Amino acid sequence: MQGVSKIKEVEDILADYIVKKDVVKPNRPVFYIDANNIRDVIALLKQRLGDEAIYISNIVGVDKVSDGVIEVNYFIHLIPFSNTIVIKTSIPRDNPKIPSIIDLLPGAYSGECETYDLLGVEFMGNKYLRRSFFVPTDVTSKNIFPLRKDAKV
Amino acid sequence: MYLQMLLPRIYFRLEKMQRCRDLESESVEKATSLIKIPITLEIPIGPQHPAIHEPVLLKVYADGEEVIGVDIGTGYNHRGVEKLLENNTFYKDKFISSRICGICNTVHENCFVRAVEYISGIEPSARAKYLRVLVMELERIHSHMLINAIMAEIIGFDTLFMYIMRDRELVMKAKEIVSGGRVLAEFHMFGGVRRDIDDVKKEKILDILKKLEPRLKYYRRLFEEDPTIAKRLMEIGILKPRDVVSHGMLGPILRGSGVKSDVRAEDKYDVYGEIPFNVIVRGEGDSLARMLVRWDEALESLEMCRYILEHLPSGSAVVDERKLPRVFPAGESFARVEAPRGELTYYIQHVGGNKPYRVKVRTPSFNNIINSGFSYLRHSIADVPVILVSYDPCISCMERAIVVDLKNGTEKKVTLRDIAMGKVRLG
Amino acid sequence: MSIIREVIRNLLSKPITIEYPRKPIPVEKDLRGRHYADLKKCTGCSLCAIECPSNCISMEKLPENIKLKHNPRGLYPNINYMSCVFCYRCVAVCPVYAYITTNEYRLSSVKEVYSKDLTLQTIG
Repeated sequence: MQGVSKIKEVEDILADYIVKKDVVKPNRPVFYIDANNIRDVIALLKQRLGDEAIYISNIVGVDKVSDGVIEVNYFIHLIPFSNTIVIKTSIPRDNPKIPSIIDLLPGAYSGECETYDLLGVEFMGNKYLRRSFFVPTDVTSKNIFPLRKDAKV
Repeated sequence: MYLQMLLPRIYFRLEKMQRCRDLESESVEKATSLIKIPITLEIPIGPQHPAIHEPVLLKVYADGEEVIGVDIGTGYNHRGVEKLLENNTFYKDKFISSRICGICNTVHENCFVRAVEYISGIEPSARAKYLRVLVMELERIHSHMLINAIMAEIIGFDTLFMYIMRDRELVMKAKEIVSGGRVLAEFHMFGGVRRDIDDVKKEKILDILKKLEPRLKYYRRLFEEDPTIAKRLMEIGILKPRDVVSHGMLGPILRGSGVKSDVRAEDKYDVYGEIPFNVIVRGEGDSLARMLVRWDEALESLEMCRYILEHLPSGSAVVDERKLPRVFPAGESFARVEAPRGELTYYIQHVGGNKPYRVKVRTPSFNNIINSGFSYLRHSIADVPVILVSYDPCISCMERAIVVDLKNGTEKKVTLRDIAMGKVRLG
Repeated sequence: MSIIREVIRNLLSKPITIEYPRKPIPVEKDLRGRHYADLKKCTGCSLCAIECPSNCISMEKLPENIKLKHNPRGLYPNINYMSCVFCYRCVAVCPVYAYITTNEYRLSSVKEVYSKDLTLQTIG
């Protein structure tokens, strides 16, 4: 009972930006939003729920060759509601750029650097991105992004 | 006699100084450009260092004795695990994922197995869930003892390090009785576990727990009252709750700064909803608070193990591996588990077939170490290893490709190409 | 004064660690140790070789003079102990329960060791 009303509260906060709703097992609500609105969404969540209430749990990039997009998923954990919500965005595969949220939530530094190094998604506004963060230098010198499906490493 | 030997040296020194001064005054008059040397000194607490146990590079910029800036460099042990997990079937992936880290291998297996169970809808029996929690709590006790022993070794208290390691052998014996291996317990399988315990084994484990409890209480009292430990650990590395949450740090770091958040109490996976336990929170936020949170959690885990052994339900727990399905249906799932170091998550996206499409592993050391550059400022250099060890770094969990043969201890450097094409034999 | 007593007591007592070659280490009966196939039951289906995570089982042909009724293809598994991680997946997946397990853990050596000799001894 309580869980349902809390999710409703989050939905009301983000009501302007939601395009579609879904569920990831087990019972984690998913909101699809447009890629350019990500900064407004995070600022709105921070403003309504307080500074000590949310942290970024994960930033995942999925390479979907057949659809021609790269999906970038943000997993955000809300401490007062004890639940994790998923925010999904898609960006085109041949021009992968998305605004960065590192000044709002500095915890996104590690996730954004890793997604840039392994998949090639560029976060605009993040000045700490560099190529050899994780991947050894003999792979980066050939300009390959290892986790793309067409990369034979 | 000594004066006669010293005097020529002093003369030589004086002559040299005079010559230098002459040169200087000459060159200063003819100088046309000036080279500015910054006063900060860059000290690499580098990949090989006696104070840290796994390779990570902390470039520390220091002015005198005080730290002004820190750059963290990683990538010395990168293994390419996510690409490897996409090229193998689900059953082989379960064995690969338990070898990402040696100390927290049970929780990696548990997270992967639960993520696949959510996709396919298999439900384990009640007795299997109780046995899974038993092995995970035993592992939490021995991991916390290990990090406290390392903290004692770094501040110079070698005797305490040896005592804690001797008592840790009891916990590893208990793990061997339950699962068949001291360090790597290949205990989980989709739908249950691989072995069962009977009454004789239950009595042996309860015996071991009875011997272990007074030792844990003695160590906890020692960390609170000893003057050496208090001088080095109190008031070092204080983190405010607002900084901790916005930088995304997890686990005992959150709970040592006053934020009450624990995955076991929030998600209630397996049987954590039925076992009574407390979430331990301390308010001070310095290194000593983080170490004391770990000792209190170890004592709570001991009580939980006793409760489990006395309330085991009856039934069958072992899964027959010959009858499990080969192909899994499509779907996506996200599983979280409370590792001894923080919150560990696995995200699996599957489109059908017997190999997963995308697996993403995010270990707690990834967030804790890489985002922690802000917390070393304004401390002296001798405090940097103390703060780093109080965050519990597990670097092999963090990067996932040096192929190390666990039985012989030899290392083989392999290129990512060989791993992706399946040419490397694991183990 | 009590320090001198401690020093003398520690000098004259034995170390706490187990002196390995002279005394045995107590291990459990069902520790995952050296395992090998039993030719009286093996049917040569090769499931263990397909499922091994480290790809260390290879199937060999039986010697010329031995013909077994329950093994039509004439193959038996040969484990390379230097690559094996002792996960016991082969033991769990065999449909006829053809593996014999022991708790032998003293397996370090300088040359490659295979399970061929132990397996061929099971039929004399």
